[in-house]
Amino acid sequence: MPAVLALQFRVLAALVLRETRATFGSSQIGYLWAIITPAASTVLLVIIFTAIGRHAPFGASLALFFATGILTLEFFNRLSRTLMTAFDANRALLSYPPIKETDVLFARAILVAFTYILIMGIFFSGLVALGLAGLPAHPLELMEAIGTTFLLGFGMGATNAVIFSMWESWRQVEKIATRPLFIVSAIFYVPSYLPPQVIDWLKWNPVLHTVEWMRNGYYANYDSRVLDKFYVLSVAVCLIFIGLQGERLTRRRRSGG
Amino acid sequence: MIELKAVSKTYRLKGMKKRIFNRLTFTFPHDRNVAIVGPNGAGKSTLMRLISGAEQPDEGRIIRHGKISWPLAFSGGFNGSMTGLENIRFVARIYGADTDAVIEYVKEFSELGASLATPIKTYSSGMKARLAFGMSMAIDFDCYLIDEITAVGDGVFKRKSKAVFREKLPRARIIMVSHAMAQIREYCDCGLLVSRQGIWYFDNIEDLIAAYQEMMRAEKKHKVRAALDAASY
Repeated sequence: MPAVLALQFRVLAALVLRETRATFGSSQIGYLWAIITPAASTVLLVIIFTAIGRHAPFGASLALFFATGILTLEFFNRLSRTLMTAFDANRALLSYPPIKETDVLFARAILVAFTYILIMGIFFSGLVALGLAGLPAHPLELMEAIGTTFLLGFGMGATNAVIFSMWESWRQVEKIATRPLFIVSAIFYVPSYLPPQVIDWLKWNPVLHTVEWMRNGYYANYDSRVLDKFYVLSVAVCLIFIGLQGERLTRRRRSGG
Repeated sequence: MIELKAVSKTYRLKGMKKRIFNRLTFTFPHDRNVAIVGPNGAGKSTLMRLISGAEQPDEGRIIRHGKISWPLAFSGGFNGSMTGLENIRFVARIYGADTDAVIEYVKEFSELGASLATPIKTYSSGMKARLAFGMSMAIDFDCYLIDEITAVGDGVFKRKSKAVFREKLPRARIIMVSHAMAQIREYCDCGLLVSRQGIWYFDNIEDLIAAYQEMMRAEKKHKVRAALDAASY
């Protein structure tokens, strides 16, 4: 088995490097933009909300509160969208016998995960350096939250990829369907403070749970009343199952059979 | 080296379902060069694409051992916006070859010079084929897949390619699709006859060629008769 694992590792490493090159171009500026864009949108939000005189919904720092929300959502969204086109973009690579269709999916997911872990690292370090935030209170829980967001995003992305390869309009449908996520994922409010009737609806949204999980990890006493770890992990596992099983079932149709 | 286990493949052509392979089980001998011959449209190239993994069987499994090449001189796996060098590095990595050694070899062999540093989309098809061929020679494969030997480049380059390829032969196996019996004789020891009626394995290359030529004659006769029948109405 070690030979098989070595092969799998080699193929994934080669694909990740290739995807990096294809996504960000040959210049270092390309990769820099990937980090600047989500950071800039968070900064912009902070400026707007500060200008209209809002206080942080929780804790002392508005920037930290938004960052925990929006970076989690962006991580999920980026995974879900990047994986969607993975099959179509790399059909020709299948002519190389060591490469399997799922390898491309895994490689893209790994690249996005590295990018966003780097973004979060830089952004949170920046806030700490500027005195806008303290160190995370429960680092382990923060890591669990990032891991769960990865699983959820990967499941959604794999499922998207299968649907997209069968039905191209899915890209537009998905774009419209996920737009409200910005509002319903607790980016700029604390869901525990909302009326129970509203919570009952919002808690169906798995992304909201990942955001809550992040805040539970970062703040010492966030104590989310909404967070249901079992629920969000179940959704993630189900989506991964649907995505990978769907890939297996529809593989023939894609390879022109 | 390569095992097919109960492999089935059906094509849908103009609404008609056409079953090309029906539970085909075959193990390619690991110490012999195998030819794949047969009339057009019987499934030779499909078999090749199944072996390389470019297509998936409807049922059954294909198990590959060792380093198997992509179809020789096939350049469709290149990424057009990446440079020649970047494409070489990618392929060297997936096969676990020494990247620098492969680059040196391909530079020397392909004679592409400074073009290697420009994106593949600026290459002519001849340049791409030279790059692909050079790459498949730079990596030591256990088995080369060849879907019709197509000569690349001018006379000198052709001779060079052939010489390098022959050097590989003692250490590598070949699976080759071809219509040219001279090539089949030159490179292969045994083979598969793939036809609409079925698939046969021949342990002796001359028996394979004889059976193939017999089949083509019969088919031609059949075609002539069909044409005459049609004409007489």
